[in-house]
Amino acid sequence: MTSTDVTSFTFGELLSSRTVIGQTLKELGEANDNLWVLTPDIGATLVEFRDTFPDRFVDVGLSEQACVGIAAGLANEGNIPVVSGMLPFLSMRALEQVRSDICYPNLPVKIVGTHGGLVGNGGSTHYAVEDLGLMTSLVNMTVTSIGDPLMVGEVLRQSMNMTGPLYIRLAVGKKDKVVYEPGSVTIEIGKGITAREGSDLTLFAHGETVSQALEAADVLAAEHSINARVVDMFTLKPIDADLIQRCAEETGRFVVVEDHLAYGGLASQISDVIVDRGLRLEGFQRLGIPQVFAGFGEDTELRDKHGYGLQATVDAALAVTA
Amino acid sequence: MTSTIARPETSVSELEDLSYELREKLLLLCGEYNGSVHIGGDLSCADVLTLLFHYGMRVDPQDLRNPERDRFVLSKGHAAVCMYITMAIRGFFDYRGIVDTYGQLDSAYGMHPCKVQLPGVEVSTGSLGHGLPLATGMALHARRNGMDHRVFTLMGDGETGEGSVWESALAANSNNLGNLVAFIDRNRQLMTSFAEERVKLEPYPDKWRAFGWNVIEVDGHDMGALVAAFDSLPAPDSDTPTVIICDTVKGKGVDFMEANLAWHAGSLNETDLQRALASLAHGRKAA
Repeated sequence: MTSTDVTSFTFGELLSSRTVIGQTLKELGEANDNLWVLTPDIGATLVEFRDTFPDRFVDVGLSEQACVGIAAGLANEGNIPVVSGMLPFLSMRALEQVRSDICYPNLPVKIVGTHGGLVGNGGSTHYAVEDLGLMTSLVNMTVTSIGDPLMVGEVLRQSMNMTGPLYIRLAVGKKDKVVYEPGSVTIEIGKGITAREGSDLTLFAHGETVSQALEAADVLAAEHSINARVVDMFTLKPIDADLIQRCAEETGRFVVVEDHLAYGGLASQISDVIVDRGLRLEGFQRLGIPQVFAGFGEDTELRDKHGYGLQATVDAALAVTA
Repeated sequence: MTSTIARPETSVSELEDLSYELREKLLLLCGEYNGSVHIGGDLSCADVLTLLFHYGMRVDPQDLRNPERDRFVLSKGHAAVCMYITMAIRGFFDYRGIVDTYGQLDSAYGMHPCKVQLPGVEVSTGSLGHGLPLATGMALHARRNGMDHRVFTLMGDGETGEGSVWESALAANSNNLGNLVAFIDRNRQLMTSFAEERVKLEPYPDKWRAFGWNVIEVDGHDMGALVAAFDSLPAPDSDTPTVIICDTVKGKGVDFMEANLAWHAGSLNETDLQRALASLAHGRKAA
C-alpha cells in the first residue's frame, strides 16, 4: 500500500474514511486538472476539495439523478468525475442514470458513498443492503466494498487510470479500523487480499465485516484450534475467481459474511464461481441480511440480531468444519 | 476566443428546402424499413433539427472531435433516425448507409442513438429525461475551461414529466449556464394521449421561468421564426440558460399523421408511403 501524508494514525486505531477521501481527492485534484467532485448535498468531508478547486466542485442539492447525469456529461467531455453521497440513494434513485448514462458509454465516473449495510442507525430507508446486487449486475461496472480507510485512498488513487465506471462502498466512514499495516499487503482492484493465512476453512468478507472475520479467526484459533483463512474480497466485480478456486482447493470450506442481503452480494458472486468452475466444497455457509427490513439499532446489535455477527461467524465456521 | 468552425450561411428558404428533403428521406426510410419508426415525433422536430445542424450549430463533419464544436444532445432519443438523416444531409453520414442498415444486426443506426457505435453522436440516449442532466454536465465543462461553444439539447414536451429534467433545470440555473440551450418539441402529444388531457403542463413557459430560465416561444415549423429565435440567443458567456419552446405538430407535413395518436410510431406500406409523399408535396406547394 502506498502510505500517504494524510495518515497521522497509529495502526489498529480508528480513522475516518471520509477524511481520507476528502484529503485524497484534494491530492488527486492537484495532480489531475480534469478531476471533478459532485455531490447531492452530502459534501461535509469534501470541504478541502471544494475550497481548493471551487470551479470543479458541484453540489446539486437533493438531486441524485441530475448529479449522476451531470457527472456523465462531464465524463463525456474527458473529465474524471467523482460522485460522493449516500449509497441507498445513489444506488437506487439514480440507478438508471448509473446504468444508461455511465455504464452504457463506459465512462470513468467513480461513485463513492457511505451507508452500505446496516450502519448509521437510520432505519431501512437509509441502509444500502441491495446495492452490491444492483451494481454487480451492471455491464462495465467495477464494484468495490472497503472497510480499511487507508485502502479507500489507495483505490481512489488507482482508479485514476481506469477507463470505465467504479463503485466504492463504505460503511459509515467516520471511524473505521485500519486493518492492514501500510505496506503489508498489495492493494489491486480485482484481486482479493488474503488478510490471514489458514488451511481449515476460508472466511470471505468485504468492508467492515473483514475486521469481524479476523476477530472470528482469532477466536477459532484460540478456543477451537481451527486455523481460518480470511480473504478480504474488496472487489466484488470483477471477482477474483482464481483466488476463490485456490481457497476451495486448499481449505475446502467457505463461510461468507457480509453486511448486505445474503443473496445478491459477495456470497452469490462466490457461489457463481463455484458452480461455473465446478469446484468441490465440503461446506458452505452464507451470512448476511435475511429478507427483512432490519429496523433500528447499532450496527453490531443488528448484525447479531440478523445472524451475521461475530458469534454467528464463529458458529458457521464450526458448523462447516464439524 | 473565436471559434475556428464557421456556422453555415444558410438562408431561410434553403433551410425550408432542407427540411423538406429531411421529411422526404424520413418517409422513404419508413417505406423501406420493415419495422416501426417513431415517425410522428420525428416529423414534429424535423425543422428544429434542420435549424440546428444547417444553421445554428458550429459543427464540422470532417472533424468530429474538434473541441470548439457546439454539442448536441438528443434527449428525445426516439427521434434518432431524424437526427441521423439530418446529419447525413449535412455530410456526417451516408444516407444510403442509414436506409440500407437501419435497425439491422450490427448496424450503427438503431432506434435510439449510441455514441459508442456511431461516432459523431455526442451521447447515448433513449431513456427520457436524461438529456438535460448530460447537457448540463457538458456545459459545466465548457464554462470551467473558458470555452465559448454552446451545448444544445432537444427534449420532447412529454419527456419533461421526468423529475430529472427539473432537477437539472435547477442545477443549470444554479450554476449560471448561459451556454446551455434546451429546445422543446412542444407537440402536445404523449404516446397514448394528448398532453393537456392527462398531464397539465400549462402554464408551461411559466414553469421554466419559475426555474430561472430565459424562455423563448416560437412556432416550431416556421423556419424564419426559428432562425430569428436562434439569433436572439444570449451570448454563451451569459448567466441564464435558455429554453426555446417550439410549438409543433406531431406528424407535421403528412396530413393523415398530424395530431393523430395512431402515428406516434408506425411503418408505411407502399400505398401509405405514396399518400404520405403526396401530402408532403402538396403541403410544400401550398406554402
